[in-house]
Amino acid sequence: MLPPADAKGLDGKETTLAIARPDRSRRTPRLSERVTGALLVLPALVLLLTLTLYPVVYGAWISTFNKHSFFPEQTFVGMSNYAYVLTDAEFWVSVRLGAIYALSSIVLQIVLGVAAALVVNERFPGRNLVRSILIFPYVIPTVLAVILWKWLLNSQFGLVNYLLEDAGIIDRPISWMGKDWIMVSLILVSVWQFFPFVVLGVLARLQSIPGELYEAAAIDGANAAQRFVHITLPQLQAVLFIVILLRSIWMFTKFDTPWLMILGGGAETYIRTLPVYTYQRTFAYYEAGIGATMAVLMFLMLAVIATVYFRLFRREEAL
Amino acid sequence: MLIRSRIACTVLTIGVAVGVVGSAPSFAQDKVVRIWHTETEPQTIKAFNDIARRFEAKSPGVKIEAEGLAWGDLEGKIMAALAAGAPPELSHGQPITCTALQAKGLLNPLDDVVKAIGEANIWDQVKQVCNVDGKQYGLVHAAGTSLLIYRKDMADKLGLKPPKTWADLLGNAKALTQDTNNDGKVDVYGITIPGDNLFVNIMLGELIKANGGVLFDKANKPQLTDKKMIEVLEFWRELVKYAPPGWEGHGYLQTFQNLYGQKAAMMFQGYGRGAGMIEKFAPKEMANDRTFDVWVKPHGPSGNAPAAQVDEEPWMLFKAARNQREAVEFLKFFYQDDNYLEYIRSVPIHFFPITKSLRQSAAYKQTEMIQRWKGWLDAQEQYLDKDQGKPTLVVDWADMTEKPYLMEVLGSGILRDMVMDVVVEQMEPQKAAEKAQKRLEDLMRSKGYFKG
Repeated sequence: MLPPADAKGLDGKETTLAIARPDRSRRTPRLSERVTGALLVLPALVLLLTLTLYPVVYGAWISTFNKHSFFPEQTFVGMSNYAYVLTDAEFWVSVRLGAIYALSSIVLQIVLGVAAALVVNERFPGRNLVRSILIFPYVIPTVLAVILWKWLLNSQFGLVNYLLEDAGIIDRPISWMGKDWIMVSLILVSVWQFFPFVVLGVLARLQSIPGELYEAAAIDGANAAQRFVHITLPQLQAVLFIVILLRSIWMFTKFDTPWLMILGGGAETYIRTLPVYTYQRTFAYYEAGIGATMAVLMFLMLAVIATVYFRLFRREEAL
Repeated sequence: MLIRSRIACTVLTIGVAVGVVGSAPSFAQDKVVRIWHTETEPQTIKAFNDIARRFEAKSPGVKIEAEGLAWGDLEGKIMAALAAGAPPELSHGQPITCTALQAKGLLNPLDDVVKAIGEANIWDQVKQVCNVDGKQYGLVHAAGTSLLIYRKDMADKLGLKPPKTWADLLGNAKALTQDTNNDGKVDVYGITIPGDNLFVNIMLGELIKANGGVLFDKANKPQLTDKKMIEVLEFWRELVKYAPPGWEGHGYLQTFQNLYGQKAAMMFQGYGRGAGMIEKFAPKEMANDRTFDVWVKPHGPSGNAPAAQVDEEPWMLFKAARNQREAVEFLKFFYQDDNYLEYIRSVPIHFFPITKSLRQSAAYKQTEMIQRWKGWLDAQEQYLDKDQGKPTLVVDWADMTEKPYLMEVLGSGILRDMVMDVVVEQMEPQKAAEKAQKRLEDLMRSKGYFKG
């Protein structure tokens, strides 16, 4: 920070800094500075408006039309798409399925992710290799992950059924892609694929918890469980807050994994989550208006859930 | 000053030279014919590309860019391309997609290609596909009907007869459901059927035809609560008792796996393509038509004739495409006997040629695989000659032009949901049909096809 223009030196004389003061008469007018600033910000602003705000506003606008997804046929229908969707039984089934999928997979990702992070935070031979392997599911493309799992879970010829039967755990093959198990299969694949994200976040935080805290607790006689509950968990609070928020948004809006699970076989009706149903209304029924309405409702649901979540769990000091 | 001028001159000269060189290719740019098709087997792609290269060699300045796309993706991609104003020159599509696009004025007829082939040289069945007011807006690349494939060795051992009715088929399915190693568990199921949307729609269309029913009346009102549809649902509910558990999660390819993997003894929605899979994946001693044969499909209690679905995607020529003349020339070349034979031979039991000349040619008949699986081809020929084969959801040929909404009906999944409500959720057929009827009426009404 510059000293004031009239600042004096330690010897009480005026400093030469005063000379550096800009000459008001020669300075560029304040307005043009503002214009320059605005121009510099403009590309980013245009990009943001074009790529983020415009599609959202356009989607909301389309939701007030009865519109074909690809052809220019459209009729203004006001809020009647919302009235239709909110009374559509299939919509509510898809909301329920989406909630089951998101909640179950998030809980399992967090539990598994925290457990795995705790393990790989310890020192043991080959730790770096284990850490690399743990990240593997997260870096492979979703399409590959789903094809791989569909192959492993094939009811007649899959490895999973073979191993379970061989171990005497089941006496007949499980239909992993059938009505009763397809949701379990979807959750299994999703947890496998996304728990490394939790590992990454939690591990980074674990590595920055001061060791003195654990040493002091050990001197006070705290056992491992008590150290975990009273030191580790509170220290992880902030990172878990963010991880749960992000994973909730991503899992509730997840499209590719459920879609690939039902593509070319798979009891679709039982994992038709809201994003899948929204896609179908838009690209199979060709009802862009209805699809946009569902997307807007999905956005509103997430906004409400995120607000409630923030109000309940946000701790400024923890963030 | 002089130096500056020289520099400026040099820069200008270089700029002009670069500009000329850079733009040179545009003077001699190829006319690109983009083609989307649904044949993704490597040998078919190779045959198609070979034909394309030969066409390019005889047509300087024309380039063929062919892409094999998955069935499930095709309709969405065509629609998106049309909306963007950049459709390919030619594309395959479902017959009902063709009529839907024709009704919106997006296609040009392929009458020149028909003329070049010779109208009399094309079978009548094929000419019915996407033919509007005498103009051929879609020309089938090859046809193949659905087949009821069964394990002949097992059926002969049990003394089973070809099923004439659905009741006969249920009897055979029951008999073929077996515990072959006596461990108290069924290891071969009587029948395998697919549970994915496209194939449930295909099968429903077939069954309603075989039961003498329709999907829509003349006023476009869905007929899902009709007695004939209820009978279809009741039959389906019985049939799945003999299907492998979790059949609702099986796609088309898994039903083939079930058959050649010896987990199922019959396959209701089989196709000629399956002969290739059997030769490739079944044990060598079983990979023949003495083990895997075909029966003519049975009819329902209210019907009196079998029905099959015909897999016959037509080529469509898009009005908004740039190089339509070249695309038409390519199709004329494609259907020439020698080229067309190469294509047909890539999957000979599934690709029935649309030209009579090729079908009667010695070269075609002498194809090795055709001789090995002749019974499968004869069954398909019978469906086609007796007009018992129709495209997906088409019950009557008039549906092709009078019901341009079938594509949306198929995509909606409403018919599949109805079937699943009955056979998986154990809902009473009448109740499931009423639920689906209401959904379908809503859909039709919202699109302006149904006024009731």
